[in-house]
Amino acid sequence: MEKAKISLYQLFVLIMLFELGSAILVPLASDAKQDAWMAILVGMFGGLFLFWINYRLFLYYPELTPPEYMQKLLGKILGTFLAFCYIILFMYSAARVLRDFGEMLLTFAYLETPLFIVNALLMLVIIYAIRKGIEVVARTGELFFFFIYFLAITGFILILFSGLIDMNNLKPILEQGISPIARVVLTQSLYFPFGEAIVFSMIFPYLTNKKKGKKIGLFAIGLSGINLAITMAINIGVLGVDLTARSQFPLLSTIQSIQVAEFLERLDVFFMISTVICIYFKVSIYFYAAVASTAVIFKIKEPSKLTYPMGMVILFMSVTIASSYAEHLKEGLKFITTYLHPFFLMVIPLLLLGIAFLKNRKGGPGGGF
Amino acid sequence: MSLFSLSRKMKKLKLQKKNAQQQNDQLSKAIHSSLQDQINYIKEKTGNSIDIVIRKLQLKDGKGPDVAVVFVEGISDSKAINDFLIESIINKSTVPSSRPIFEILFEKVVALGDVKEITDWDNLYLSLMSGESIILVDGAQKALSASTRGGEQRSIEEPGSQVTVRGPRDGFTENIRTNTSLIRKRIQNPNLWLENMKIGSVTKTDVSIMYIKGIAKDEIVEEVRNRLKRIEIDSILESGYIEQLIEDQAFTTFPTLYHTERPDMVAGNLLEGRVAIIVNGTPFVLIAPAVFIQFFQSVEDYYGRADIATALRFLRILIFFISIIAPAAYIAVTTFHQEMIPTQLLVAIAAQREAVPFPALVEALIMEVAFEILREAGIRMPRAVGSAISIVGALVIGQAAVQAGIVSPAMVIVVAITAIANFATPAFAVAISARLIRFGFMFAAATFGFYGIILGIIILAIHLCSLRSFGVPYLTPMAPLILANMGDTIIRLPLWAQKKRPALISSDNSNRVGDHQKPSPPEGRGMVNSVLEKGDQDEN
Repeated sequence: MEKAKISLYQLFVLIMLFELGSAILVPLASDAKQDAWMAILVGMFGGLFLFWINYRLFLYYPELTPPEYMQKLLGKILGTFLAFCYIILFMYSAARVLRDFGEMLLTFAYLETPLFIVNALLMLVIIYAIRKGIEVVARTGELFFFFIYFLAITGFILILFSGLIDMNNLKPILEQGISPIARVVLTQSLYFPFGEAIVFSMIFPYLTNKKKGKKIGLFAIGLSGINLAITMAINIGVLGVDLTARSQFPLLSTIQSIQVAEFLERLDVFFMISTVICIYFKVSIYFYAAVASTAVIFKIKEPSKLTYPMGMVILFMSVTIASSYAEHLKEGLKFITTYLHPFFLMVIPLLLLGIAFLKNRKGGPGGGF
Repeated sequence: MSLFSLSRKMKKLKLQKKNAQQQNDQLSKAIHSSLQDQINYIKEKTGNSIDIVIRKLQLKDGKGPDVAVVFVEGISDSKAINDFLIESIINKSTVPSSRPIFEILFEKVVALGDVKEITDWDNLYLSLMSGESIILVDGAQKALSASTRGGEQRSIEEPGSQVTVRGPRDGFTENIRTNTSLIRKRIQNPNLWLENMKIGSVTKTDVSIMYIKGIAKDEIVEEVRNRLKRIEIDSILESGYIEQLIEDQAFTTFPTLYHTERPDMVAGNLLEGRVAIIVNGTPFVLIAPAVFIQFFQSVEDYYGRADIATALRFLRILIFFISIIAPAAYIAVTTFHQEMIPTQLLVAIAAQREAVPFPALVEALIMEVAFEILREAGIRMPRAVGSAISIVGALVIGQAAVQAGIVSPAMVIVVAITAIANFATPAFAVAISARLIRFGFMFAAATFGFYGIILGIIILAIHLCSLRSFGVPYLTPMAPLILANMGDTIIRLPLWAQKKRPALISSDNSNRVGDHQKPSPPEGRGMVNSVLEKGDQDEN
């Protein structure tokens, strides 16, 4: 573990940027049709629960990182194996996010640039950031958070004033009852993006105020869920259900349709700027978790030495995990969230929490519930 | 010369050297007792330099041992030496048999404030070379040094850099004592502490650190002291030498120490808990630790109204970004993102660029480099030739380059705005680093458009976030966010609202302003009737 301190506000900012990261790009929960925003909100509540599980687990071992307490709970061999699985999950997720982003950039701005180049540039920046340590990433988060929110609010006002939102697109609410929403929540929005907050278990040990971390984390996930829901509702309001579901990047389409006062149009560059920043944080945090876990498992003294090789792996993975964007999306929103995520983001943390509870029945955890 | 004699000579030399060394070792402790030996030794050591004046004197009544006064002409105050040393030794000194002459000189004769007793040669030379006068007495194995520092120096003038409309007009000079006095006059408090050290094995430059005990953080003062003590170098000719040797990170274009010529700025920073490093021989005083936002502050912000200062701070941040990314943004827009420009303007730019044979990057580089050359020439040229430079710059590079079809007029505008923005940055140290970074951004923009620029900005942010100045993160109080100190960053709150000193820099004593300092009129005279009537009666 490196010597670092993360304040509560920094945790809040990182969680916000992480959650918004790639989820704001893709047609999230679009299977729930016009009720996508509702599916996101319900998923958010599930995400709060998942976050609570992880934080609770962390409070049993407030000085340890997840690989360490996994080894304590499951024994050396099984714990190491599980931690290793998580490293691969984190790296794979980082590669996925990087791919999302690269595809987005290629589709709308750099038609003839190879995906590899676009991804490689961002990855190099991320490697540079991680080499500087998690504290630096957190501080850049603080800097960019205001900027992102400023852009988001400006965009929201512009969309509002250009009169694009048609509330009828959002009706009828709950057309086919609750079941489609429940299905979407359980297979998608619960895990992506909210359940993914499990990576922050790697950052919890650095918190300056460990007792309040849970409250701040829950608050951040709640706020990001609300933001995502609003964004999705606006997308559907502007584009309609069909276009939103079919569009690769609904938010981009929404922003492209802004036209205010004759000259405020073609604002996609601002979309691109904020996307690059959000994606940078999401990949950085995944990447950091992977690097830090590896360093813990294999007892590597200087985690910064791992950044180049592991960064290269993520980079190549991002290019090779899918042969086309359609395949990539299908994998991401269908396969991963139905099979991989429930197991790693819900079942295992619950299991670990159960074991930790049984093991520590007498002593009790460090903090309150 | 035969080999034999050579080797013998070598041996002799070695022996001499050895002897000299032994002698030296002894001498660094003790001063010879005979006056003639003392004088000879000084002459030998200083190579008979003619500005070293050795004046032999006899006491008033002609009895008693001989006395000599030694000083360096030019760096000592000759009037003081004549009036208070030589005059009083010749005219006033009498030798009572009971007490040694040395004590008499010390107590009764030398009419100067700071007189010290010296027992070894090292200290003797240090005092002598810093302008003090040495009084040697025959038979005494010690000497007296009298503070007669002086000589020619520049008077206090308005500082050349950091000029303000409102604010004090005095600036630092090359003399360290004048500089410390300028600060002391502003902070009349015994807690203003001054520590002196000599740095530079050859130059023995006076370097002082100044801080307010109780406001400055002890750890930071200790860190500054340690870093200064660690310096091993032959010479310190300017505070820039110190800056390069004690900064936190060497590989950055951003300054992690602030330097200023303004005593009021140093005083203001000392009151925030910072430490000033004053170097003899330069008017530039270093301030540590420095944070990024400091380079966008001007002393005038605090003297003027808060709202206007806030607007100016916003302007300066904008200026900084313009001076970094304006040419890059132009390149990105014209090569990658033409759709961003309104159609009419796009047509106009395209028409202008039609005649230009180069891609936007080359065009921008030509103009930028030409401008940098102009600027460099403008600084180095003698003043009489300066106007020629500006004519060449304006006519040839501005007008003719456009007419010749080498650059487009739009590019000239962009480069001009960038240049002006660069000049408008309040701190030269940051302006010059923006000047350098700009080229990196131009290349990034030419290869990847706005994607390149935004990646550049992220790298810049990571770099700035990773910097520290004496352990204080460079971007405080923005990142890490310290809300209590945000009042003096991009916004400048009124003084009565800035209650706290910078949290990571100053120590515990953090309340600056008393409660209820917000000014308000004595009585509301607005809509309240009773008060209004009373007021009317008063005025009758």
